[in-house]
Amino acid sequence: MDKRWRRLLAAFLASMLLLGACGGRDDDNDNGDAAPPADDTPTDTADDDDDGNDDEPPGDPEPGPGFDGETIRLGVLTPTSGVVAIIGEPLTAGNQAYFDYVNEELGGIAGQYRVELVIEDTAYDPSTATQRYAAVRDDVVAFVQILGTPVVNALLADLIDDDLVGGPATLDSAWVRQPNLMAIGGPYQTQAFNAIDWWYSQDENEGTVLCTLASDDEYGDTGVEGVEFAADNLGIDIAVQAEFPAPSPTRAAQTFESQISQLQGGGCEVIFFVATASDTGQVATALSENTGYNPTVIGQSPSWLGPFAGIPYLQENFYLASEGAEYGDESVPGMAELVRIKDTYAPDQAPDLYFNFGYLQAMAMTQILEQAVANGDLSREGIIQAMADVDELTFDGLSGDYGYGPAEDRVPPLVSSIFRPNPDVPMGLEAVERDWEAPFAGDYVYE
Amino acid sequence: MNALAPVLASVSGTDFIQNLVSGLALGSKYALIALGFVVVFRATGVINFANGAFVLVGAYMTYQFFQTWEINFYLSILLAMAFGFLLGVVLEALVLRRLVGEAPFTVIMVTIGLLFVMDNVVTAVWGATNLDLGDPWTGNVVEVGGVRMSHRDLWAMAFTATVLAAFLAFFRFSSMGLAMRATAADPEAALAQGISARAVYRVAWGIAGLVAALAGLTFATGNANIQPTLGLIALAAFPAMILGGMDSPLGAVIGGIIIGLVQQMTELYAFEYLEWAGRNPQTVAPYVVMIIILLVRPYGLFGTPEVRRV
Repeated sequence: MDKRWRRLLAAFLASMLLLGACGGRDDDNDNGDAAPPADDTPTDTADDDDDGNDDEPPGDPEPGPGFDGETIRLGVLTPTSGVVAIIGEPLTAGNQAYFDYVNEELGGIAGQYRVELVIEDTAYDPSTATQRYAAVRDDVVAFVQILGTPVVNALLADLIDDDLVGGPATLDSAWVRQPNLMAIGGPYQTQAFNAIDWWYSQDENEGTVLCTLASDDEYGDTGVEGVEFAADNLGIDIAVQAEFPAPSPTRAAQTFESQISQLQGGGCEVIFFVATASDTGQVATALSENTGYNPTVIGQSPSWLGPFAGIPYLQENFYLASEGAEYGDESVPGMAELVRIKDTYAPDQAPDLYFNFGYLQAMAMTQILEQAVANGDLSREGIIQAMADVDELTFDGLSGDYGYGPAEDRVPPLVSSIFRPNPDVPMGLEAVERDWEAPFAGDYVYE
Repeated sequence: MNALAPVLASVSGTDFIQNLVSGLALGSKYALIALGFVVVFRATGVINFANGAFVLVGAYMTYQFFQTWEINFYLSILLAMAFGFLLGVVLEALVLRRLVGEAPFTVIMVTIGLLFVMDNVVTAVWGATNLDLGDPWTGNVVEVGGVRMSHRDLWAMAFTATVLAAFLAFFRFSSMGLAMRATAADPEAALAQGISARAVYRVAWGIAGLVAALAGLTFATGNANIQPTLGLIALAAFPAMILGGMDSPLGAVIGGIIIGLVQQMTELYAFEYLEWAGRNPQTVAPYVVMIIILLVRPYGLFGTPEVRRV
């Protein structure tokens, strides 16, 4: 009797654990096929949307790795476990929702080729990402999403060797000149120098002491580079450049006490904050418990999550440098469509900055794949060629249009938007300034 | 003395003391985790890496009781601790007890497996995004002589002191505490004296779950601080247990405080004086201190020389 009960309990616990283990990752992969069909009739839309190709019908692309003649398989290398899963999951949901829309309402890429995502968990760890990349590289035509500056850096040589395209879900300016990377959005450096220029353009902020607080890794360096560029152009000094360990499985708990001691000691009044969202709450806590020291913090876009809008210190003292418009602002042409597609294909997804970015990546990849189909070549080399053949990637106002073509000619968007927390609006972000461009933005050299 | 002068001059006395206090508080939190390691090791001779899972579940269950089910905050803490105790007992009964007599390496690998499985279970239940505990302590500080102490930190230190006192009393005066010591020293002899090893193991795992849940709470306080990686913080407390002595509650607390202070002080001075050490020396420093102490005292500061190592 006793043994039977124990066995039953053990079986129950094991099945619960298994369910939990499955819920962490592979569910996402299933969503593509399980997505509900749209109310509209997809076949009609697919026929009508063949614009641009009527005069010169392309030859059918040959099947190859990741393309069986009917379905295009795209890789996603993102953390679905670990500290940065809070970014990876909504990003991937954005990828998936847009491709669900393409599959169901447009009949697939060029109206005929369905898209399927192959999602692999990197845990935001370069060595894990390298293993997962090797496991799936022969099954995909390209990677629509690779999350993390250190991860992209770790994989770049392999992407080049394998003639594969990857879409970095990170905005380092170093990606602009890489033929194998499908960069979109204004680089982090652009966010940083535009935000600092915007701050000092306000009369009341003149003479405020500028500092940085950045994670001690390549990602942290991007924002600091942008701030340094702005400081040079504006003729101001950066009083303190504080750093903290980047998130990793071996990182100890962070108090941010010593960094705040540095910043307070340097008299910092405005701090540009380069971090992922996993550290923002802790920094806000440390500052709110530091009586008498209330600097303004301007965060780089990955430092934000919706729940932060409820944090009193951030409501009073925080701005976010990002781009595009406030969620639901239908004065922006692409916003109404984004909201509709999210509500249709990802109804459980809360409005989210990273969902939007994933959606934009899928938009960009769709334009490139359409070009590759028009060229009659969905091979790896064909997709790289298609990136060089596309003149411009457009986003209906959700992000700045990106001048494409050969890598050496690419021109990223030069504008950024400034937001501040507001718990009463979707995503918890209210736009303070739209499409701000520093007068020296065009001088930044993307290497 | 001369070499220290520029270091001391670069940071004000208040900053130094402020970071000292912060290091003490952080060390207290590590100590709570280390105490969970110690109680299982002391009774069973197993290093329980699943302790991180107890920390994680403790944080989320406090959130569940307090925010989702809107139970009084302090009662929520007690309920989360009770849940931690139950989780420890259930895991011991369903998994660990079947491994009694197996090689220590096997048992350790199972506890590591439990840590990662529970991490996924937590993500599946509560999601990956940060959650805000909304505790009543965040944002409140007391100031003494220009040095701030947050209510969160004061509670963490009080919890650690209380748990340490309870542990010392438990092992010294209670029959179960004595039974744990006897079972760990010689299970067969203990059995011959009528001590139930099964009950000892179960209670040890339960206590570990209870204390770890409290540790999870201390890391969960603050703004939107609950996230699935809280369990990995237990690994940062591991050097505390090792350098304090793997079977010593006092050693765990002293070790935790040493690790907290070393981490905080390295961080304070690293930006200026440790650039040559590469990125993030504060992450490595606790392990360096651990190695140095073990070179001098191989069984840790307060460890018993007979302790078996893996």
